[in-house]
Amino acid sequence: MERIKKDFTTLTLVMIPVAIAINVAVGQLVILLKLPLYLDSIGTVLVGLLAGPWAGAITGTISNLVWSITGLFPQAWAWAHVAAIIGIFAGLFGRFFKRTPWLWFAGGLATGITAALLSAPVSAYIYGGVTGTGQDFIVGLFRATGASIIESTLGQGIVSDPLDKFVTFLLVFLVVLGLPRRFLLRFPRSENVT
Amino acid sequence: MSSFTLYQPRDSGLHRLHPLTKLTLTLCGVATAVVLPGFWPNYLLFALFLLPLAAWGQIVCPLLRAVWPIWWPFVLSLFLVQGLFWPGGTPIVTLGPLSFKQEGVLFATAMAGRILVLIGSFLLLSLATRPDALMNALTARGLSHKLAYIILAAIQIVPRFQAKAETITAAQQSRGLETQGNLLRRARALLPLLGPLILSSLMDVEERAIALEARGFGRRTLRTSLILLSEQPWEKGVRALLLLATAVLILARTVLALR
Repeated sequence: MERIKKDFTTLTLVMIPVAIAINVAVGQLVILLKLPLYLDSIGTVLVGLLAGPWAGAITGTISNLVWSITGLFPQAWAWAHVAAIIGIFAGLFGRFFKRTPWLWFAGGLATGITAALLSAPVSAYIYGGVTGTGQDFIVGLFRATGASIIESTLGQGIVSDPLDKFVTFLLVFLVVLGLPRRFLLRFPRSENVT
Repeated sequence: MSSFTLYQPRDSGLHRLHPLTKLTLTLCGVATAVVLPGFWPNYLLFALFLLPLAAWGQIVCPLLRAVWPIWWPFVLSLFLVQGLFWPGGTPIVTLGPLSFKQEGVLFATAMAGRILVLIGSFLLLSLATRPDALMNALTARGLSHKLAYIILAAIQIVPRFQAKAETITAAQQSRGLETQGNLLRRARALLPLLGPLILSSLMDVEERAIALEARGFGRRTLRTSLILLSEQPWEKGVRALLLLATAVLILARTVLALR
């Protein structure tokens, strides 16, 4: 409880909306570049790393709720729990960031697998197995082999998510290396990165 | 104020409803869409419930314009993925080696109806409700003002970031960065675009935090608000009725499923 209170400083609270905006802006940039990734959780991972798992969870959840209530991406609410888990994982694997970076990258893969497991039932049972994006092509391939809807969405997640989250964790790694030490030291979990 | 909401200011009864009433409408719409079985009910729900509400709010056209670009990719995917690749279904239309299966098309139509209501419910809320009024109503019911700050600040910052992302893309392109071409070339453009965007946005975080602290952000006192919310005396009853009806529907559906 004490630790959670320490994580939510004013700096953390200011960082969270900026991270949400990073999620949106980078997500749209990736669509513009037509890359087969989402990269819509860079901000969430950044907050998880710098301000702990609970701040990461809040960032992910609110990201998705903001997308829904503003009407930009109204279907996002259904995946809010996935976004929260991504923030939590970033916070938990943050301790490996400095000493054993390979464990941090492995954390990216673990996050991807967990995200795939958690998001598949949502697309299968709420949205009929599709997300209205290019990723549905992969769902179609699985369906063509005779797989059930839930198996197909799970298969699509396992194909896409680990790579996406691995690249996300890698980009966050590179960005944090580029940030001045003076700035990083102000965050509640600065011991993760300095 | 530029923000990335779809809010359309109108002088209508729907707009004057208390934000909590509209939020309740949306949440009940979402829950109903998920539990309603079969082929037609969701299309009926959209036509007989969401559209009349939009008409009351004078936002039928904006609603349809907002629903369409989000809905049609779902419809396309549903019909292609489930219609064409439904394992072992009865073929009805054959196109070369592929054929639309009856079971898949029925499933796709039912799901498209559900998604129409899911999207429509949220868009109705965002078209007719100012986000700050919604947050105000929620903080009055006990939502932490810090969470309300996070949500409203995010809504205001996002358009600035989108503009910044465009500027950076244009600047890097003018220096010869290629954002088109094969996958490898496009992937290589990622870091020169993301780096400046993220680094520059983090730089003003600290100043913002100091500015907020200087204005008493961390104080635990009663806050007053610029926006006054009014509530008709019957709105409480409407909310209770909506919640009750949705609860009964969910219960009925669960009982039917368990039978």
